[in-house]
Amino acid sequence: MFRTTEVLTTIRMLQEEHLDVRAVTMGININDCAQRDMAATARAVSSKISLKARNLVRICDDISTKYGIPIVNKRLAVSPASFLLEGRSKEEALRLAQALDQAAREVGVNLIGGFTAIVQKGITPGEQVLIESLPVVLSRTQRVCAAVNVATTKAGINVDAVRLVARTIVQVAAATKKNNGFGCAKLVVFANIPEDNPFMAGAFLGPGEPECVINVGVSGPGVVKRAIERLLAARPDCTLDEIAEEVKHTAFRVTRTGELIGREVAKRLGVAFGVVDLSLAPTPRVGDSVGEIYQAMGVRVLGAPGTTAAVALLNDAVKKGGAFASSSVGGLSGAFIPVTEDHALAKAVAEGTLSLEKLEAMTAVCSVGLDMILLPGNTNAATLAGIIMDEAALGVANNKTTAVRIIPVPGAKPGQRVDFGGLFGSGVVARINCPTGAAEFVNRGGHIPAPLRSLTN
Amino acid sequence: MTTKQRPRYVISVLIADRVGILRDITSAVTELGGDIDGISQTVVAGYFTVILTASFKASVSAQTVHTAILQNFGENEASIVVVPYDARRTERPPVLGPRYIVTVTGRRHPRVLKTITAFLADRGINIEDWYVHFGPAGMTQIGEIIIPRVLDVQQLQDEFRQLLQPLGMTGCVQHENIFRATNEVGAIRALIEEQGNVQND
Repeated sequence: MFRTTEVLTTIRMLQEEHLDVRAVTMGININDCAQRDMAATARAVSSKISLKARNLVRICDDISTKYGIPIVNKRLAVSPASFLLEGRSKEEALRLAQALDQAAREVGVNLIGGFTAIVQKGITPGEQVLIESLPVVLSRTQRVCAAVNVATTKAGINVDAVRLVARTIVQVAAATKKNNGFGCAKLVVFANIPEDNPFMAGAFLGPGEPECVINVGVSGPGVVKRAIERLLAARPDCTLDEIAEEVKHTAFRVTRTGELIGREVAKRLGVAFGVVDLSLAPTPRVGDSVGEIYQAMGVRVLGAPGTTAAVALLNDAVKKGGAFASSSVGGLSGAFIPVTEDHALAKAVAEGTLSLEKLEAMTAVCSVGLDMILLPGNTNAATLAGIIMDEAALGVANNKTTAVRIIPVPGAKPGQRVDFGGLFGSGVVARINCPTGAAEFVNRGGHIPAPLRSLTN
Repeated sequence: MTTKQRPRYVISVLIADRVGILRDITSAVTELGGDIDGISQTVVAGYFTVILTASFKASVSAQTVHTAILQNFGENEASIVVVPYDARRTERPPVLGPRYIVTVTGRRHPRVLKTITAFLADRGINIEDWYVHFGPAGMTQIGEIIIPRVLDVQQLQDEFRQLLQPLGMTGCVQHENIFRATNEVGAIRALIEEQGNVQND
């Protein structure tokens, strides 16, 4: 017999606080699909995805009904497509991407990740082809998402790769100009990319992962915010460690919900269960915002001094609650700060209280990085490369994942509003306070060596 | 069912709540050599009720047990029922299927419980437990039910929502594991395996 409060707490999380399973992502190894020519490879990729994922959506829907919890997105993440592009052309890369796009559509998922290259130490010809094909791939497919890992703590930062990717971002924006550069929203540049991340656009099946695996991303910023508000209503003078404790307990419940769904989906599909990733991923909906959590804690103006500390508190408490809840925690696990997808963050950027530089500081302690940030259309590749290098440096030096998903909106100026619709949200173009001056440093190219891991003051 | 060696009885007591009721019942049973092997008690609106099962020596009749318990209470204080345990009636659970939790929230309504229980019974759904919580926002009914495997849960949920809508209430039917997952600390893996092993699911 359950206690009344137990039932009511769970019901409240689901019905009033928007707890959902944000993504059930099936990882599929496609390395064995390599054939003599790209047409045959594309057919093999389609067949394998169909074989593995044809029941994914149906089973997710069944389980969603059974537990009364929404599973918002069903997605696929394949092993790095660059492995299938060695000795291939950009045209063949597009053909592979279209096969992935078509296969994803046929099994009913909305996004497929894994058009990915891991280039922190160097770039193979296949990886070069993949990166250079991104403007056409991201403009001519709907569901394909791409990621490039340019740095790791062990390898340092591949600046040549950063420069290539920065130029590519400019080209992707131009290729998707009609959609305000939306193609860039499907491209993430990582440092220390996780192999089991279920969230897009950076999901892929990394090295060391099984042949086929279910990873689950759970969200729930609304649940955390309401938990803090209830705590403050009961104890208005509570301290920050009490808030951290409340977040931890809430994260525990949310994480276990994700693991329950993930394990059952995996069992029904007959594949391995990988990880549950509790990442507070906002949506543009009011009440489903990470920014609102910081405001609930007492940071009334996002971007004010203290904001970074609030992010650190939240990120750490979420990780601790998740780690206690499950021994299968992975992915990114923490707090995201995707600007256009979070109405409170987007408003703060629009009002000028939350600057690009403050966001960068916040990424030193959040779970990912500069995410869904709109930039002026005239931002040049050297400046983009500088932004990516700064972010990668934070990840490399702090031994954490950082990422950049920035969108130079063609023709747009600072302050201009852009609306992508749906979960991608809307926002205003941010101002880069110092848009020049990076070129000489960035264009030296080469490699920033891996950091020393001792003498850590 | 009463065995030749050790008769087993089902004992029920209803009484206005006070301190020491369980002591008074269990001491009577124990002094007759009874071995209590099942018990559930609750208090509703100040009234205490308990149901328990106990096995006795062959010579102890149901009337003897009834009299012994009654002696521990004042005149007209308690309603007591003692009946032989009939194993044939309980060999199989009334319904085989997974356990779900029903929750219904809204303002108090005199017909709501009758309407819901009739809806569930018409579909062969067995209620194992039911309780009501009154809060500032209204009333919440919570039931633990066994849904026959042949029923389509999606259809059941849709029909349930339609049933409650005219009453101004909302409700949902969810598998119990979502509540166990969010409130217990045991491994989720064990929860899934348990679900696969138990006959009820």
